Amino acid sequence: MTAYDPCAHCEEVMQPYMDRVLTDAERAEAEAHLDECSYCRKRYRFEESLRGFVRQAVAAEPMPVELKQKLIELRTPLQ
Amino acid sequence: MSETTREPDARQIATDARDRVRFEEEALALSDQVYRVARHLVGSREEAEDLMQETYARAFRSWRSFQPGTNLRAWLLRILTNLNIDRGRKQQRSPDIQPLEEGDYFLYNKLEATGDGPTDEDQVVERLSQNDVVSALSEVPHDFRDVVVLVDIGDFTYADAAQILDIPIGTVMSRLHRGRRILKKAMAESAVGGEVS
Repeated sequence: MTAYDPCAHCEEVMQPYMDRVLTDAERAEAEAHLDECSYCRKRYRFEESLRGFVRQAVAAEPMPVELKQKLIELRTPLQ
Repeated sequence: MSETTREPDARQIATDARDRVRFEEEALALSDQVYRVARHLVGSREEAEDLMQETYARAFRSWRSFQPGTNLRAWLLRILTNLNIDRGRKQQRSPDIQPLEEGDYFLYNKLEATGDGPTDEDQVVERLSQNDVVSALSEVPHDFRDVVVLVDIGDFTYADAAQILDIPIGTVMSRLHRGRRILKKAMAESAVGGEVS
């Protein structure tokens, strides 16, 4: 049996922690570890920045104006 | 037919017309958000544009089946993902071959190891480019990418994503977890170069 590794556990719960789906007890456990572990804290902060960066990176390509016009033309003509 | 029976019909027609116009306006107001998701569900801009037109044509035809008060953006995306599957995407799936994923700290560790100088978290993120993200996302297998795109880019809840893709919520959660890890590994490969291990 392998020994319990708190950093490996913290890595495992990072996504549910960020998504706010951990139970109160699980969240408290993760936060207690983050308070004392700068290695994990750094990686959690990076994850936060990364999520914002991904969102910005993919939002950079707006819908083409011509497409918007084509969608408008699909509307049912008024009687 | 007497005047008294024709009158309610005329009122009904007017009400229908008003509801339809309102529906079409609301659907069009969401088109930028729907496009942003569509653009990353499919491989190319051309495919996304075709899919958007098919989606809106179908939505405008079947507007009566939308239940007012429910999530119109999710309803439109449900049409779009169904059309995307109808277009033959299913045949491209290869569920038996899935990329190996790494842990959630993998990308940070790779970026930190390749740079020199300070390793403040924000500066580490800056080692990625917009192109790293876009190309990495296109490499994530469809089943995983759909969920990542809907939740992380489209801001849909797990429940909405489950409804749009017609899969159980538990499957949404597990695909999201794995999909994000696959994405991060692909970003590491794109940013650092070569096959990372």
